[in-house]
Amino acid sequence: MAHVPQRDSVTTIAPDGSRRFLQPADVGGQWVRARRAFGWLLIALFAAMPWIDINGNPAVFLDIEQRHFHLFGATLGLDDFWLLFFAISGLGFTVYAVTAMFGRIWCGWACPQTVYMEHLFRWVDRWIEGDHHQRTRLDGLPFNDPEKLRKRGFRFLVYIALCWLVAHIFLAYFVSIPGLYPLITGAPTAHPTAFIGMAAMTGVLLFNFWWFREQLCLAICPYGRLQSALIDDNSVIVGYDARRGEPRGKAVAGITTGDCIDCRRCVQVCPTGIDIRQGLQMECIACTSCMDACDDIMTKLKRPVGLVRYASLNELNGGQTQYWRPRTILYAALLGIGAVVAAFSLSQIQKAGFKLTRQPGVELYTDSPGAVTNFFRAKILNKQGREVRFFIETEFSPVPITILNQSAGLVVPPEGEVTFPLVIMVDRAHYTGEFNLTVRLRSEDGKTRLKQKLHFLGPDSTAPQPPTR
Amino acid sequence: MTSPESSDDKPVLMPHSYDGIQEFDQSLPNWWLFTLFGSIVFAALYWAYYFHSGVAVDDHTALDADLSVLEAKQLAAVKDLNDETLWKMSRNALTVTEGQAVYTSLCITCHGPTLAGVKGIGFRLNDADWVHGNTPTAIYRNISEGIVFDGKPTGMAPQKALGTAKIAAVTAFLLSTQEPGKLAVIPRSEEPSQK
Ligand code: SF4
Ligand code: SF4
Repeated sequence: MAHVPQRDSVTTIAPDGSRRFLQPADVGGQWVRARRAFGWLLIALFAAMPWIDINGNPAVFLDIEQRHFHLFGATLGLDDFWLLFFAISGLGFTVYAVTAMFGRIWCGWACPQTVYMEHLFRWVDRWIEGDHHQRTRLDGLPFNDPEKLRKRGFRFLVYIALCWLVAHIFLAYFVSIPGLYPLITGAPTAHPTAFIGMAAMTGVLLFNFWWFREQLCLAICPYGRLQSALIDDNSVIVGYDARRGEPRGKAVAGITTGDCIDCRRCVQVCPTGIDIRQGLQMECIACTSCMDACDDIMTKLKRPVGLVRYASLNELNGGQTQYWRPRTILYAALLGIGAVVAAFSLSQIQKAGFKLTRQPGVELYTDSPGAVTNFFRAKILNKQGREVRFFIETEFSPVPITILNQSAGLVVPPEGEVTFPLVIMVDRAHYTGEFNLTVRLRSEDGKTRLKQKLHFLGPDSTAPQPPTR
Repeated sequence: MTSPESSDDKPVLMPHSYDGIQEFDQSLPNWWLFTLFGSIVFAALYWAYYFHSGVAVDDHTALDADLSVLEAKQLAAVKDLNDETLWKMSRNALTVTEGQAVYTSLCITCHGPTLAGVKGIGFRLNDADWVHGNTPTAIYRNISEGIVFDGKPTGMAPQKALGTAKIAAVTAFLLSTQEPGKLAVIPRSEEPSQK
């Protein structure tokens, strides 16, 4: 007899600490179908991103080596790193708002762990080893049973191939498809780091999907725990309507029973091995399997569906779900503010980077009879996919200055970076001591303007001029 | 059929109770404990291997070894660079074009677009008068190491980071306007761009 889930302990961990490996039953129904379609859409999107070309670059290409991050046509440099603040806080508030309203909807519908596990790997399980009865029978066979060896071995190979594929797509996000190709065709010894990284990633994915499975959601994923903590009585969760279902049991004349016939279908299909009728539990990833399973039974019995359904605890207790409450309003407001600020900052992104530092290895300044001179090192980063000519000009200076040999401008290659010395001179006749000035970088089309404040070093204004040699 | 009440793994309560709160006596997952004991074993092996085995190479030694390989490569490249080869390079159109590209991205700031120098900053490089050495190797060294005058660094910073090939190319570019045997040495104070 199958194990009976306890509310007070984790189904997948036996009392001696060993793993209880689940073989959840297959389930069909409207929710599973919708989730499968959505899951495959996500997988297709994930696989397509590196191939889609926007403005000459892949839709997503995080070029760590060159420190260029291509996102849907925009190219960000390391100096735009602060935008990550909005990305992460935005993600955070989205999770807060969505979870407070709809529970762990992320886990059930969109999390890669669930999407790949439920819609890809469990499907392979079924395809090779049959339904959950056959899989459980296979589990019980000794390891050297020829049928088990054959089926498990074949399944293992399929898993390796799939994990290897997913790892490659993932790597393409960081090296792009053209960058990936030589890594695939070349010998492993030619690029050991990439090869080992790829093998390690394949191994981790394999371990996760072959053996670890729901343990990730249970014990490792911080998202899962966070979401559990964000759910309150008004969050819509996958719940069992105990008021309608209890007392459970077969209808026997003379005894009033609820709608639950205690067929345990909802328990058999649960990928985390819990009994939803024991209430909201931290293992539940809101995968909707038990909803479909129960609806199926209710339809057969000609009773209304929805004994297990999306409902808030308040609703299940006979009340009403209140979607808008101070918490959700606050989360949504914060999310809205964040989105507005993020959109504004994105529109302010410069298509170039400009940095002036003092030139190392030389004097701080030179004081020749004609002029006082400061040496800087300029770095220009061109984030555009085409050559751009840049000019360095005086934005503000209290005294006339000369920027040496920059009138012709400087051509920076597409997505390139150039470092070169920049020399600023002040005529001795105008020099009255150290001062602050601002220089600007201007692209030829004038669309990019970046300023930097500098401090011009020199002798005290009272110091005598050096003698003419 | 077992009912939940008679289930074999109904968790046991620990005897103690604090403020009326009791806890279950449940074991941790084995895989979890494995990560704990695994990291203890790993730490011990790591410690033994890196600090006591004498087999492991520590980071400093590894870095020094890497650097000496790099240096050997550079030295090997520099060994082939003598006055004669630099003169030869200065007559090779490809090398000179390459050197000119480096010049326009770097040296031009102080020495000007026509090599005429900038008063008070960069020496004139298109005449036969040289201040800090008049041989191709001296020019190469000045670019690579920078120029220190009177014990003080000057505006001419070391450009070693360019690498042997690029420095040699720039040297070749500078020599391309010069004739062998015609380079003269003059004192620093007489360099025209210094006045
Ligand atoms: S618990 Fe974590 S890993 Fe599991 S489905 Fe939810 S977000 Fe994904
Ligand atoms: S209780 Fe239902 S919704 Fe939750 S994980 Fe199990 S089957 Fe999925």
